[in-house]
Amino acid sequence: MTPPPDSLIGTIETALREPHPGRITIDREPDYLHDEHTLWSWLTTTDHKRIGILYLLSITAFFIVGAFAAGLIRLSLVVPNGQIFSNDTYNKLFTIHGVVMIWFFLIPSIPATFGNFIMPIMIGAKDVAFPRLNRTSWYIFVSASLFTLFTVVAGGVDTGWTFYAPFSTTFSNTWVVPALIGVIVVGFSSILTGLNFIVTIHTMRAPGMTWFRMPIFVWTMYAVSLIFLLATPVITMALILLVMERVFHIGVFDPALGGDPVLFEHLFWFYSHPAVYIMVLPGMGVISEIVPVFSQKRLFGYRFVAYASIGLASLTFFVWGHHMFVNGESETSALVFSVLSFAVAVPSAVKVYNWTATIYKGTLRLDTPMLYAMGYIGLFVVGGLTGLFLATLAIDEHVHDTYFVVAHFHYIMVGGTALAFLGGLHYWWPKFTGRLYPEAWGRLSAFLIFIGFNATFAPQFVLGYLGMPRRYHNYPPEFQLLNILSSSGSLVLALGYVFPMVYLGWSLRYGAKAPPNPWNAKGLEWTTASPPPKHNFETPPTVDFPPYDYRRRETRV
Amino acid sequence: MSAAAAQAPAGIAEVGIEREEHFTTDGQQVHAARFGMWCWLLTELLLFAGLFLCALIIRIMHPASVTATTTHLKFWIGATNTAVLIVSSFTMSGAIELSRIGWQRGTVRFMLATAALGTLFLVLKGYEYYQDFDEHMMPFLHGRRYALAQDPSTILFTDLYYVTTGLHGLHLTTGVSILLVMAWMASRPGFLQRHQNRIEIFGLYWHFIDLVWIIVFPVLYVLNR
Repeated sequence: MTPPPDSLIGTIETALREPHPGRITIDREPDYLHDEHTLWSWLTTTDHKRIGILYLLSITAFFIVGAFAAGLIRLSLVVPNGQIFSNDTYNKLFTIHGVVMIWFFLIPSIPATFGNFIMPIMIGAKDVAFPRLNRTSWYIFVSASLFTLFTVVAGGVDTGWTFYAPFSTTFSNTWVVPALIGVIVVGFSSILTGLNFIVTIHTMRAPGMTWFRMPIFVWTMYAVSLIFLLATPVITMALILLVMERVFHIGVFDPALGGDPVLFEHLFWFYSHPAVYIMVLPGMGVISEIVPVFSQKRLFGYRFVAYASIGLASLTFFVWGHHMFVNGESETSALVFSVLSFAVAVPSAVKVYNWTATIYKGTLRLDTPMLYAMGYIGLFVVGGLTGLFLATLAIDEHVHDTYFVVAHFHYIMVGGTALAFLGGLHYWWPKFTGRLYPEAWGRLSAFLIFIGFNATFAPQFVLGYLGMPRRYHNYPPEFQLLNILSSSGSLVLALGYVFPMVYLGWSLRYGAKAPPNPWNAKGLEWTTASPPPKHNFETPPTVDFPPYDYRRRETRV
Repeated sequence: MSAAAAQAPAGIAEVGIEREEHFTTDGQQVHAARFGMWCWLLTELLLFAGLFLCALIIRIMHPASVTATTTHLKFWIGATNTAVLIVSSFTMSGAIELSRIGWQRGTVRFMLATAALGTLFLVLKGYEYYQDFDEHMMPFLHGRRYALAQDPSTILFTDLYYVTTGLHGLHLTTGVSILLVMAWMASRPGFLQRHQNRIEIFGLYWHFIDLVWIIVFPVLYVLNR
């Protein structure tokens, strides 16, 4: 006898709520996932954890779109004469890739997902300071980014994610204005998230959670929020002027009308260089959480890592000119920007040395998050050092706008941010879902990503040094071998991305139940249940211990 | 508390806030709300800063043609509007002070006075736009001849004048709308007991709009006149 459909749904609901029937459960507050079940309860939630999960789902969807565009770009570059796609299609493809990956994946990636979910728990708060504003910012993000996605995919935009004038203002005949409006609106979602985080960190810390007891992840969230707040409005204005220029021909960026296209580049990079640190700093925060746990050691030089985060967030406002060394910048300002860009290496190196020193003589466990973290450190060093090459005026003259630059920023963005994102996803997965992921698959995909990533982007350093310009799909035949190498590496990389999506999804239903603290970690987020109850803690926590309190507890035992 | 309310003179309400569940203390909520508004104002300031930067750079690039444009801006309307907004900041401060002591009717009247001054600003601004239109100073209207010198950079500065004053006007319109809604809410019983701090926070925003105009006025109208 087949059961009537409504009772079938009832059975599924019971199974979701209580996957192991018959087991004795302790009567306690339902966790945030099981508090309410309807789709409506998710869409109207003000719970920072649920909003974090909503962000996680949406940016994963955008990541898939951006990665798909990247795959098509690599496919096109297998042959030297650009026969696979027309020039227009190729231009639109790299615009889709850039716009989606930067604005809808990398910038919200770690702050909006882990920042929303973990940061309030880390400081012992019940929620962020403005929960309804938090939900609003997700709605702004989703509606504006879906709108932009529609314009860049259905209509197509060929300016690249940088929207440089005068091409974007005068010459491009594509859907530039709607795409710009979408990006402007998405900016408000970042601003509101940043505002919410700054206020939360200032006002919502638990009793005893002093500034120097905050985990580094919270420090980096603070630094990132400062950039969101101070830099985003500037690009909002620049893009508004760009829209005005296309619609009303006001000409701030048009030399024929008395304006100056370089002014747009200044305003653009005044945001977009700090935006690099919006993408990188949270990754550094995640790595600073993972490394001490899997070394079971206190983070080396905690205060310096904290200062370095704020230092990077401040310095980054003074280096935007290094994107414009060959674009009509005076020698003096080029020199100043070059020197300041070198200064950025100092806080970055402080962090790298401190992570390495934390690993040194630690009790290492090479679980998946740690593999990602170690991969991050290596790739970030490569990306950072090639950044110094580019900050050198003489070398930049040679490799500007070549694949060398492309390889450099992918080492930072993918080798840095995306690896940290995946590492953090695995590290906090038990906390998010209450389930453990299969460790062997996790390690395998971490290795695949590391190998695939290097195979994809290391050849591009050589290509760029030999002179292959970025954003072209016609190239001399002698570059074909390196391009094929890069494209085949991207296949391995793609495989490495598919694995986590599959086994993490699998673990939601079949993974082992996670204990509150599967990694023997020390942060406040590991003192509450996995997944956490609706208000994060059964009893509001009081903090009387330093961050990364590993050594002290050892001696106590 | 009811005894205290009974002792209070007529028309004086209790003042306080209604605490949301994720805050531990009233002080925390008040601090968070005020600090959040300061952060928002910081971001708004940088939004306008981009525009001021463009205006100043165009002034440096084309000093003569910008001066030619500024002499056609209606200095006295701008100056009157500056005074109007400064007075409105005083009335807004008055509304905040009265809301602190819980005098509901006085609070609402001062809020309405502030909204009236804000509207007066917008009316004067509209009249100024009308005069600009009359003088053929609207280069973005395709069907209408532009009467100032045909030098492209005067057109550019004129356009920037509309973008800047338009953005400021948008902020002011938002401010007046919020103020009217809030004045209506404050005229209902119980608002000051539950949401007095909203008036204070809105006050910050209002003073900010005033402050932005105080920068806009010299940057567009006064410099190099």
